[in-house]
Amino acid sequence: MKFSTTMKVLGLTAAVALAPVMVSGAQAAGTLTTAVAIDPGSWDPIDTFLVNWSSAANNLFDGLTARGADMKLRPGLATSWEFLDNNSRIRFKLRQNVKFHNGEPFNAAAVKFTFDRLLGDEGRKGPQQSNYNTIDRVEVIDDNTVDFIMKQPDPVLLTKLAGYGGMIVPPKYIQEKGDAHFNLNPVGTGPFKFVEYSPKVSLTLEAFPEHWGGAPKLDKVVTRFISEANTQVAELQAGRIDVATLIPFGLAPTVEKSPNLSLISITGPTVVALRLNTRDGITKDVNVRKALIMGIDREAIIKAVLLGHGKPIASFQSDLSFGYDPSLKPLPFDLAKAKQMLQQAKVPAGAPVRIDFRGNDATFREVAQAAAGFLQALGLKPSLQPHEPPVLLNDIIPNGKTGEAWHNAWGGWTFDYDNTAYLMYHSGEKWNPYDNDPKLNALLEKQRTMYDVKEREKVLQEIARYVADQALEIPLYNQNTIFGVNKRVKNFDAPADSRFRFTETTVE
Amino acid sequence: MAGFIFKRLLQAVFVVLAVTLIVSFAIRLSGDPAIMLMGGGNVTEQDLQNIRQSLGLERPFYVQYLSFLEGMVTGDFGKSFMGGTPVSMLIANALPATLLLAFASLLASIVLSVPLGVYAAVNRGRWPDQMIRILSLVGLSFPNFWLAIMMVLLFSIVLGLLPPSGMEGPESFVMPALTMAIILTATNVRLVRTSMLETLSQQYIMVARSKGLRDRVVLYKHALRNSAIPLVTYIGLQFGGLIGGIVIVERVFNWPGMGTLAFDAISNRDYPVLQGTITVLALFIVLINLLVDIAYGLIDPRIRTE
Repeated sequence: MKFSTTMKVLGLTAAVALAPVMVSGAQAAGTLTTAVAIDPGSWDPIDTFLVNWSSAANNLFDGLTARGADMKLRPGLATSWEFLDNNSRIRFKLRQNVKFHNGEPFNAAAVKFTFDRLLGDEGRKGPQQSNYNTIDRVEVIDDNTVDFIMKQPDPVLLTKLAGYGGMIVPPKYIQEKGDAHFNLNPVGTGPFKFVEYSPKVSLTLEAFPEHWGGAPKLDKVVTRFISEANTQVAELQAGRIDVATLIPFGLAPTVEKSPNLSLISITGPTVVALRLNTRDGITKDVNVRKALIMGIDREAIIKAVLLGHGKPIASFQSDLSFGYDPSLKPLPFDLAKAKQMLQQAKVPAGAPVRIDFRGNDATFREVAQAAAGFLQALGLKPSLQPHEPPVLLNDIIPNGKTGEAWHNAWGGWTFDYDNTAYLMYHSGEKWNPYDNDPKLNALLEKQRTMYDVKEREKVLQEIARYVADQALEIPLYNQNTIFGVNKRVKNFDAPADSRFRFTETTVE
Repeated sequence: MAGFIFKRLLQAVFVVLAVTLIVSFAIRLSGDPAIMLMGGGNVTEQDLQNIRQSLGLERPFYVQYLSFLEGMVTGDFGKSFMGGTPVSMLIANALPATLLLAFASLLASIVLSVPLGVYAAVNRGRWPDQMIRILSLVGLSFPNFWLAIMMVLLFSIVLGLLPPSGMEGPESFVMPALTMAIILTATNVRLVRTSMLETLSQQYIMVARSKGLRDRVVLYKHALRNSAIPLVTYIGLQFGGLIGGIVIVERVFNWPGMGTLAFDAISNRDYPVLQGTITVLALFIVLINLLVDIAYGLIDPRIRTE
């Protein structure tokens, strides 16, 4: 009798708990839901550098230029452009009859307002200004023409106008409502317009049928903020999100095996290397550095840790990057040769090699462990030192407190080797605490003044070759960008830079 | 009573001050919000200076802390470094989510632990008692994130019954609340059992039985009521710990609460959000402990007079 009473109570509890449970796995028709890891907190283009911002906001805003999933540059809000006055003035013809989501007209004044704001006091508070400070000012020629007056040449400018800080914003709306309001209630000219933003939860956009590029086929795009990879994958498997952007390599097979999901694994911008300390320790010697490169089987690491979702690199850039040289090959893996080189350099057995890395990067922890295994096989004494990312990036690296090697991960959305190489190898840059090489400095400075695409590409390739010759780093791999996508999503062109544009996409 | 409450309130102010001071100081020991904001890209030291200035970070620590205290008093929690969202708005969104989850967890734990505890006490020493005690030990030893992931696997992916994350309808409470509740239940079951055993050996229970009352009435009306006092106190105290322990569960279930807010604020070095979140949480825990003290006095007059 007592037993049955208890059972009744328990049964009732279970019933109460499960009563309201009727989850609709299926999504609303015409609504596409994506998940990104981080809520940028503001939708103002000048406030953020986060890829996650762009994954959502690339649907809200347009730039003067645009870049599609093929990573090719094409006209955006500008229909054409020409270089004048010895490249110090760039003239843009603007698209006509374009309106912002609030009905405000897009014109030359809006372009001038956008860049005055970005280059002025408001922009100074955010991370985007520094990407555009080669621009001196914008001049309005007529309602549909603007001139960009350059302080110094910037060969990457046209690409930079396709995203982030270069996105065009509505002058009247911002002046009337204020910056704080704009942060949380963004208005642009893009194919989707703002509906609702719930901090840390989601951003909802709906189709803007009057978009100059044609009406989008979806009704709504919802971006949810989910920072835990396991949770994103669970939501994807449960059919509650359509595109997941945070798929660790370890979970890729899970997505691949699900019958209703597909895994998209494409070349992305992120490259990973072990930068070497050229000031202290055994890595002072260029031959030792080369021996370390040859002693680590990078192909094996890609296969075992990345499960094949990556490829080896010879310089610190992906093959999508401007400046990539297909003829530059990485040093081969050759343990015997590496050992011999170490002997010739008189490196004592058990010489220490410390690897400093970002402790929150689970994938790299495995990579570092694998690399340490190879170093051990060379007769060295590797040690792994995890750091909290802000400490590593803010103190250990810039102040030259690293061990023999440190974790360098990089992925610029512009896909131009300049942005990477200059910051990595020019003297005085915070990513370059140990070297001061006049020859490398000169090359890096030279390409920044060149608009001739072919010539500049040659110089960038020369830089990559020089860095490889000096063995400033152990180039490990270019890791793939991975998306998990529900099969009900059609016409989804996965962009390598994760900046989605859902104009043509549909859901079943 | 009034003097007692006043004294406790004064203590509470000091606790909150100490907590905010430690947190504000500790988060400034490592990392630079300006670098977090710039993403380590194409930046010069001048750019970083500009950012630090616009965030008010170039001022000495005591000035920053005092201006934070001043904001607390006037109800202005400042703005998030990430995007400038007002901290009060973030907390206003997150606090109800956390409190609701905490209440749901407590409720689930009570609903589970009372019948189990009573049943174990009644069957003292026999196999149901042993089973319940072993199970509660197992429950106590579970890492709750593992439990959470397993539940998601079963209920969301295999069975498709519950949403794996987020706070939407009542169904989204089930897994996060159960995850928290199982840990609590493990201790509560033991508490109910011990407390019940003690009450059941009292003479008035024997009297109740001997006058022919039904077992159920004796157990739930006479015995349980009298064993409830320690339970109520303990549960009140648990509530504070519960809010602290909710961070991991919130993260796994992507729950838009205070834990998620604090966690993100730490990783982004978002000082205003972290200080605001910690202050509010500290206030809450202090307040609940105060309420427990008061409630204890109300329930048991002997304590009030002491």
